[in-house]
Amino acid sequence: MLKIQDLHVHIEGKEILRGLDLELPDGEVHAIMGPNGSGKSTLAYTLAGREGYDVTQGRILFDDLDLTEMEPEERAREGVFLAFQYPVEIPGVVNANFLKSSVNALRKHRGEKELDAMEFLKLARQKLKLLKMNEELLSRPINVGFSGGEKKRNEIFQMGMLEPRLAVLDETDSGLDIDALKIVADGVNTLRGPGRSILLITHYQRLLDYIVPDKVHVMVAGRIVRSGGKELALELEARGYADVVKAAAAA
Amino acid sequence: MNIDAAINLPPIGNTPAWLAGVRQEAIERFRQTGFPTPRLEAWKFTNLSALAGTSFREASPAEVPELTRADIEPYRLTPECHLVVFVNGRFRADLSDLDRIPDGSRVVDLSQADEADLRLLTAVPTVEGDARARVLADLNTARMTGGAVVHLGRGAVLDPVQLLFVGRPEGEPMAFHLRNLIQAEAGSSATVLESYVSLGKGPYWTNAVTRVVVAPNAVLRHYKLQAEGIEAFHIAAISARLEQEASYAMFAASLGSRLARHEVDVDLAGERAEAKLSGAMLGRDAQHLDTTVRVEHSMPGGTSSQEFKSVVDDRAHTVFQGRIHVAPDAQKTDAQQVNRSLLLSPQANADAKPELIILADDVKCSHGATIGDLDEDAMFYLRARGLDVPEARAILIDAFVAELIEHIGGDEPRAYFRRAVDRWLAGGGRS
Repeated sequence: MLKIQDLHVHIEGKEILRGLDLELPDGEVHAIMGPNGSGKSTLAYTLAGREGYDVTQGRILFDDLDLTEMEPEERAREGVFLAFQYPVEIPGVVNANFLKSSVNALRKHRGEKELDAMEFLKLARQKLKLLKMNEELLSRPINVGFSGGEKKRNEIFQMGMLEPRLAVLDETDSGLDIDALKIVADGVNTLRGPGRSILLITHYQRLLDYIVPDKVHVMVAGRIVRSGGKELALELEARGYADVVKAAAAA
Repeated sequence: MNIDAAINLPPIGNTPAWLAGVRQEAIERFRQTGFPTPRLEAWKFTNLSALAGTSFREASPAEVPELTRADIEPYRLTPECHLVVFVNGRFRADLSDLDRIPDGSRVVDLSQADEADLRLLTAVPTVEGDARARVLADLNTARMTGGAVVHLGRGAVLDPVQLLFVGRPEGEPMAFHLRNLIQAEAGSSATVLESYVSLGKGPYWTNAVTRVVVAPNAVLRHYKLQAEGIEAFHIAAISARLEQEASYAMFAASLGSRLARHEVDVDLAGERAEAKLSGAMLGRDAQHLDTTVRVEHSMPGGTSSQEFKSVVDDRAHTVFQGRIHVAPDAQKTDAQQVNRSLLLSPQANADAKPELIILADDVKCSHGATIGDLDEDAMFYLRARGLDVPEARAILIDAFVAELIEHIGGDEPRAYFRRAVDRWLAGGGRS
């Protein structure tokens, strides 16, 4: 599904990702953990195609597509979804209207019929029910006045609506209390399954109690330095990042 | 402009002698000063040389463009609204719908104005200003050929009235000097919409002066759509006098014309009067759009707000000048002003000049101005959800303007402006 090969990324001339390799097979959930400043969010933004994140070497393959040079909207239409660490507040734009345009942009790209207002509403209600979220979410301006938990829930709801093949969840657990974390994690678990790969980017192991990954990767200084099963997260939680950072520096 | 031609004053009904004198003096002032230039502070950012350099003729009363109701239908607020139509500066009874005006109120052409109307129409504005900067209103006084006189009787409710001004360019460029009066008697309530549109291409000049009087406890919602053709010049001056506890809301959308100036003077002349002034300028190509607002708090306890936004694309230029003047007696005044501009291209330009003159000590006044481009984070967020750049831009521009539209009172006027903004976003909007 996703293959990242020797990825080097510069932001404003500074190298942040330094030869990152990663493979995420179809239907699997992988976690990327690492200390602050290791480049986790840079990886998330690079996968989504944010301007200013210059890929100077390597490539990102998504099935048979090379995403590396694609525009953000082209990636989204191919099924790449980024759940933002800091979802943007957009006053004056009603969530439902925006999401209808978004869903239809993807459907159009796939050669499917665009949804009319009624069909959209039906689908949205169905997804909200599935994710145990409140319908009121639809009529509010995008993220305006949302609590941290509501913003993250809105991201997961969007993910549910857009049905991506690759979802990158950037620190989706940050700023959430335990109840909000459970709701968000339940949502992600509901959306987990064949045909959808998920990359969980997180600093803490806590999220992985609720979304159990198939694999855990540790990122230090712009590279994956260790990979393992879900027990690796527990080890990191117990011993901190100091050892892996040291080992990476020595290598 | 051939100024000497303007000496032969066109008749307005049975012109009383005093009015002939007023008009004579007005044209003298215009002749002495000529078109305002950027040397005048009030015209610092707006250069009228293209207007001054164009020679305009005045349509003769015999020239009646052939237009049908179907032609003007798209610009109508609703099929049911009271409608008064002017084509090329002259009243068109055949296109208007004025047969359902309730007793005690009046909506007529300027030629039917009575002496009291004419006195109000030609009174010197009470908001302080440089007389040299107002000579286009003087020219209007001398040359006015038509306009709406809207008189709301005591306690009357009139909702809504549309004044539709159609420019139909033919032959040499024409100038239309329109003079309107909206007078709301005590306790009355109305929505009045002015729409300026073009049917046909070509240069012309709309020079409109609208006088507004809102009597004690009256409520007037005054809206204006300026969607003239891209070769048109549009100069409009509104001056409003608010009496005790009068409430006046004014929203204007300016998206047409090659050069447009929307000037609003409001005098809160009675205690606890309230003025809510807002507007959106949407400019593209090489348009120049100017909004100049002067709010005068003459009496205590008044509330005023100014919320103006501009969206500027291509090489367009918008200007916002907003003055708040609080007289020494106007204690307990609350006056706010906000101006925000969104620049969509590197060549786009927005000027803002706030001016606060506060001579009372117990007041609440504030102002703020921002000029910026589209929020990059928001653009990326929308694109990451599959919207392409034009779609994402349209959504954000729409959101920027939507806040103002949402505050428009009444579903129909709100939908009317909503449609106008949508047309602009889709690349059109000007007639």
